[in-house]
Amino acid sequence: MSIARLSETNKRSKPIPTISVQSLTGCAGELLVILENLQKMLPYVRIQSFPFAQSKNSDEPVDITFVEGSVSNPHDLEKLRAIRLRSKRVVAVGNCAVWGCVQKGACSRLAVEEMRNQVYGAESKIEVMPASRIEDHVQVDVKLSGCPIDSTQLLAVAASMLKDHLPYVTKKPVCLECKLRENPCILIEQDLPCLGPVTAAGCGALCPSVGAPCYGCWGPSEEAQMDAMANVLMEKGFSLKEILTRLQAFGAPPELFTRLNQLQDQADSN
Amino acid sequence: MEKSYVLSKEDFPRFLERLKQFGTVYAPTKVSEQSFAFKAVEREEEIAFEALRTILPPKKFLYPQRETLFSYDESGNITEPEVNQPLVIFGAHPCDLSGMKVLDDIFTAPPGDSLYIERRKHILVVGQSCIPDKYCFCESMGTDSVKDGYDLFLTDIEDHFFVEVATPKAAELFNECDFLIQASEPYKQAFKDFWHNRKDLFSNRFETSNLPALLDLEANHPVWEELGQKCLSCGNCTFVCPTCYCFDIVEIANFNGSGQRGREWDSCQFHGFAKVAGNFNFRPGPVDRLKFWYRHKLHGFQDAYEFPTCVGCGRCTVSCPAEIDDIVGVVVRLEGKDDRKSIYAKEPVL
Repeated sequence: MSIARLSETNKRSKPIPTISVQSLTGCAGELLVILENLQKMLPYVRIQSFPFAQSKNSDEPVDITFVEGSVSNPHDLEKLRAIRLRSKRVVAVGNCAVWGCVQKGACSRLAVEEMRNQVYGAESKIEVMPASRIEDHVQVDVKLSGCPIDSTQLLAVAASMLKDHLPYVTKKPVCLECKLRENPCILIEQDLPCLGPVTAAGCGALCPSVGAPCYGCWGPSEEAQMDAMANVLMEKGFSLKEILTRLQAFGAPPELFTRLNQLQDQADSN
Repeated sequence: MEKSYVLSKEDFPRFLERLKQFGTVYAPTKVSEQSFAFKAVEREEEIAFEALRTILPPKKFLYPQRETLFSYDESGNITEPEVNQPLVIFGAHPCDLSGMKVLDDIFTAPPGDSLYIERRKHILVVGQSCIPDKYCFCESMGTDSVKDGYDLFLTDIEDHFFVEVATPKAAELFNECDFLIQASEPYKQAFKDFWHNRKDLFSNRFETSNLPALLDLEANHPVWEELGQKCLSCGNCTFVCPTCYCFDIVEIANFNGSGQRGREWDSCQFHGFAKVAGNFNFRPGPVDRLKFWYRHKLHGFQDAYEFPTCVGCGRCTVSCPAEIDDIVGVVVRLEGKDDRKSIYAKEPVL
C-alpha cells in the first residue's frame, strides 16, 4: 500500500471527536447558546451526551465536556467529579461555572442555610452547599465566561481545541472593547457606576454601548483593581456598601475585597 | 511647494465636495455632551468644527482598532486584505498631526508594516487650527504647530479659512477651483497674528528642557506609588493616545481548517502585557505599569528616536476614570514644584 493510500486510510479511520454538554446549578442560558451553534459544530463533532437537548445519552469517555453551572449542592459535586473522570478536556462555560455567578455572589454576603430556609422552608430536606466555581473542585482546562457566553468565542474555542491549538480567551477589561468602539465613557461623563475597568471583556462592551453601566456579569478581568474601582465610585458619591454589593454580585472571589471588606466592617462597627 | 490661499466659510460646502472626490471624508462629529469622534460625513452641518479632541485619535485610520492581517483557507492558501480605500481625515489638529508623524516613524521604519504603509498612501490629511483648553499642553511638548505631516492645513481666521496647500496630492485635487483665492496681505497678517497670539492661550504647561534626566532622577518619587495605587489598569490612557501603538495578535481558527490572523490594540497597562513564559511578569503591579507608561511617553523614545512620544493632546487626562493621567501635574511635581494643584482638583476619598 502506498504511503498516500495509507494516510488516506488513517484519515478516514480517525474517529470524530466526541463532545458532551452537562449542566450543574445555573439558568441553562449557556446550553441555549450551545444549542444555537450546534449545527456549525456538528460535521466536526459527535454529540455523545447532551441531556438538555437529546434523550439518548451515554456516559462513555468523551473528548470534550462543556460544563455549565456552579456547584451548589452535593449532587452537583458528585456529577462534576464523574464528568472530570470521563472527559479528556473540561471547558467551564458561563459565569456560573467559571466564577459562581449570582449564587456565589449571594453566598459571599449571606449564610447559605439562612437562604435555604427562606426559600424552601426550615423543614425542607434539600441539601445545599455554598455556591462555588467548578475549578474549586476539579481541574478545568478552559474557562469561557459570560452571562451568557458569546457565540463567536464559543466556536473559536471549540475549533481551537479540536485542532489542539491553545484556545484564546481574553482576560482584558471591558474598557478595551468599549474604547475600541469609541463609545463616550459613561463612567466619566454620566457618573454611572460602570464596572468596565474591572470586568473581563468578551461581550463587546454590550451594555456601555447602549448607555447602560457594565454590571460585571463576565466576572473580574485579570488582576482587577477593585480598591481603585471602589475609590473612583466613592468619589462619585456611591456608598462603600453599595459598591461592594455591585462588585461582588457576579461571584468575584472574596480575596479581591480583603481591604474593602475590612473598611466596611470598620464602618459597620462604628 | 507650499501655497497659501483663503477660503470663505460660505464656500466650505464646495470645498467639502472637492474633498469627497478624493474619498470618504471623516471629520469630528459630536457623539455626546462632551465627546467627539471622527466619523464619515456627507454635509458641512455634520462636522463639529469646535471639536478639540476626539475620543480616539486619527491613528484609528492608519492602524485600525482591529484588523485582519491575513486569512487562510483549508489548504493553507493565504489571502491578504485590501487596504486601498481612499479617505480624507478632516480636522486633525497640530497635536494629532504630530502623533501621526510619530506613528509614521515607527511603522515605516525597516522592515516596515506593509498594511500601515499601504493604507497611509491612500489618506489625504486636512489639518485644522484650534484654540487650546485647560487640558492642552502641546506647547510644552513642542507640538503646538507643525511644519509638515499634512496635505492641507486650515487656519480659522474669522469668516475665512487660511488654506495652506502642502503636497502635490492636494494641489492636484484643488487644481482649477475658484473658491480658493490667492492669499492677500491682510489675510497673511491675520494668519500670522492667529499663531502668534495662540502661544499665550496655554494655561497647562511645564518648563523643562530635560525630561529624560528628570524621569531618571525621580524614578522612585512617591508620586508613582500614589498614582499607581489609584490606577484601574483599564488601558483607556493608551487607546486614546495618538502615539500608543502596541497590539496583540490573535489567531481565530474555524472548524474546517481555515482561519484568520488578526491584531487588535493592546495596552501596557494590562497585567498580561508583560507576562512571559514561566509566569514571570516584568511589570506585575499597576505602579510599575503606570510609571512605565509615563516614561515611555516622556523619556523612552528619546533614547531611540530622539523625540518624546507625548504630543500634549490631553486625551489621557480627560479619559482616565481614576483621574491620574495629569501629565503636566506629574512633571511639575517631579521637578519639586508642588505649588500646582492637580488639574482634576479633587482629594482622594479612600
